[in-house]
Amino acid sequence: MAASLKVNAMDKPTIVIDDVSKAYGATQVLRHCSTRIAKGEVVVVCGPSGSGKSTLIKCINGLEPFQSGSITVEGVEVGSPRTNLPKLRMRIGMVFQHFELYPHMTALENIMLAQVRALKRSRAEAEARARSLLKRVGLEAKANAKPANLSGGQQQRVAIARALALDPQVMLFDEPTSALDPEMISEVLDVMIELAGEGMTMAVVTHEMGFARRVADRVIFMDQGCIVEDAAKEQFFAAPASERAREFLSKILAH
Amino acid sequence: MPEVILKNLPFMLQGLATSLQISAMVALGGTLLGLIVAVILYSRVPVLSVVSRVYIEFIRGTPLLVVLFIAFFGLPALFGYQTTAYKATVVAFILFIGAYLAEDIRSGLMTVKPTLTQAALATGLTQGQALRFVVVPLAVRRIIPTLFNQYVRLFKFTSVASVIGVAEFTGNAMLVNAREFQPVTILAFVALTYLVICLILSGIGRWLYARLAVS
Repeated sequence: MAASLKVNAMDKPTIVIDDVSKAYGATQVLRHCSTRIAKGEVVVVCGPSGSGKSTLIKCINGLEPFQSGSITVEGVEVGSPRTNLPKLRMRIGMVFQHFELYPHMTALENIMLAQVRALKRSRAEAEARARSLLKRVGLEAKANAKPANLSGGQQQRVAIARALALDPQVMLFDEPTSALDPEMISEVLDVMIELAGEGMTMAVVTHEMGFARRVADRVIFMDQGCIVEDAAKEQFFAAPASERAREFLSKILAH
Repeated sequence: MPEVILKNLPFMLQGLATSLQISAMVALGGTLLGLIVAVILYSRVPVLSVVSRVYIEFIRGTPLLVVLFIAFFGLPALFGYQTTAYKATVVAFILFIGAYLAEDIRSGLMTVKPTLTQAALATGLTQGQALRFVVVPLAVRRIIPTLFNQYVRLFKFTSVASVIGVAEFTGNAMLVNAREFQPVTILAFVALTYLVICLILSGIGRWLYARLAVS
C-alpha cells in the first residue's frame, strides 16, 4: 500500500536529478548521475569514500555547483542563475558530518538564527519553536549550552533541530554519524528514524546499513562518481546487481 | 611625584586626553575600515579587492610620518581643501592602522571553516548574513589579542602627531621640558605613563579574549 502510494508520487517527485556531471579541474567527481526522490521517500546513498556521494547531496541544495545536467527540487531549478537559492534552501534542511554548529552561539541561538534572519520569524516565535525542537531531540536542558560543552551526539541532534526549525520539505544528511563515537550513533539515528516515520522526505549519505535496512525505501550505491545501483532496499540487500556493490556490502557487513 | 611634574600636570594631562581621544577614534575608524577591506578581500569582490590590495601594499611600504605628511600637506594641496593637524592625524592614522587591521581580520576570517559557512547558507541565510552573523563574529573573537596589539601600537603612534603640531601628550611634555629642562624626570614620567596605559589595554584584550574566545 505504502509502496504503491510512493510509486504514484513519482509522477511528481520532490527531487529530480537529471544527468548531473561535475569536475574539479581534471578530476571528474560526478558522471551522468540521474535519480528521483518522491515525497516521503527515504533514500540512503552509500559507496566508498571519494565516490561522490557527499558532492551529489550538496548539489541538491546548491552548495556545490555542477557543470552539466539539472536538479530540480519541488519544481525549482537549483542550477539556474535566476533561482533564489536562499529561499530554496529554507525548504531543504541539511545536516553535516561535523555538525557545523556556530561555536559562538548557544544551542538555542543556533536554532533561532535562520528562523529570525532568513524566515523573518519574530524572536519569540523562533525561540518557542527552538525550545520545542530541543525538547523533541531530548536536549531541552541544553538550550543555553555552547557547542563546545556538548557531546558529539548532542551537537548533531542540535544540528538536526536547527535544520528542522525552518519546516523543510526535504532533509539531506551528509554522513551524520561518521564523526561520532560508537555509543552516540544510536541517539542520532533514533531522531532520524523518528523523522522518517513521520513521512519526511530524506536523502541520507551513510554507511549505517542497519539504518538503511530499517527505514530506507531505496538505496543508491555510488562508485567513482557514477550511480552504479539505484534499487529498492530489499532488492539491494538481497541481490546487488553490480560486482562493485556486492564487494562493498560484503566489506561493511562482514563485521 | 617630582615637583616639575606636579606643577605641569594639568597641561600634560590635557595632552594625554588628546592622545587618548585620537586613539579611540582611530581604533574605531581603523577597525571599521579594516573590517570592510578584509571582507572585500575575503569575498574576492571584483575591482574593489584589487583596490584594497593596492591600498594595503601602499601603506605597508610607507612610513607613518610620510602618511601623516600626506594627509596634512599633500591631500589638502592636491584636492584644495583645508584641514587641521588634529583632523589630518585622525585620517592618517585610520588609513595607516586600517591596512594592518585589514590583514589581521582577513587572517581571522580565513580560520573559519568553509563548511561552517556552508551550514549557514544551507539554512537559507544569504552570503552577507552568513558573514555578518557567523563568520565575522567568530573571526573577531579569535583575533582579539591581535586587535589589541594593534590598538597598543596606535596609541603609541599618537606621539608622532606632535611633529605637525597636535597638542598631544609627548608634544606637551616636550614643551614643558623646553621650559623646565628636566629631561630625565619628564621623559621618565612620559614613558611610564605610556607603559601603564599600554598594559591596561593589553589587560582589557586578555580579559575580553578569555570571556569571548571560542575554539
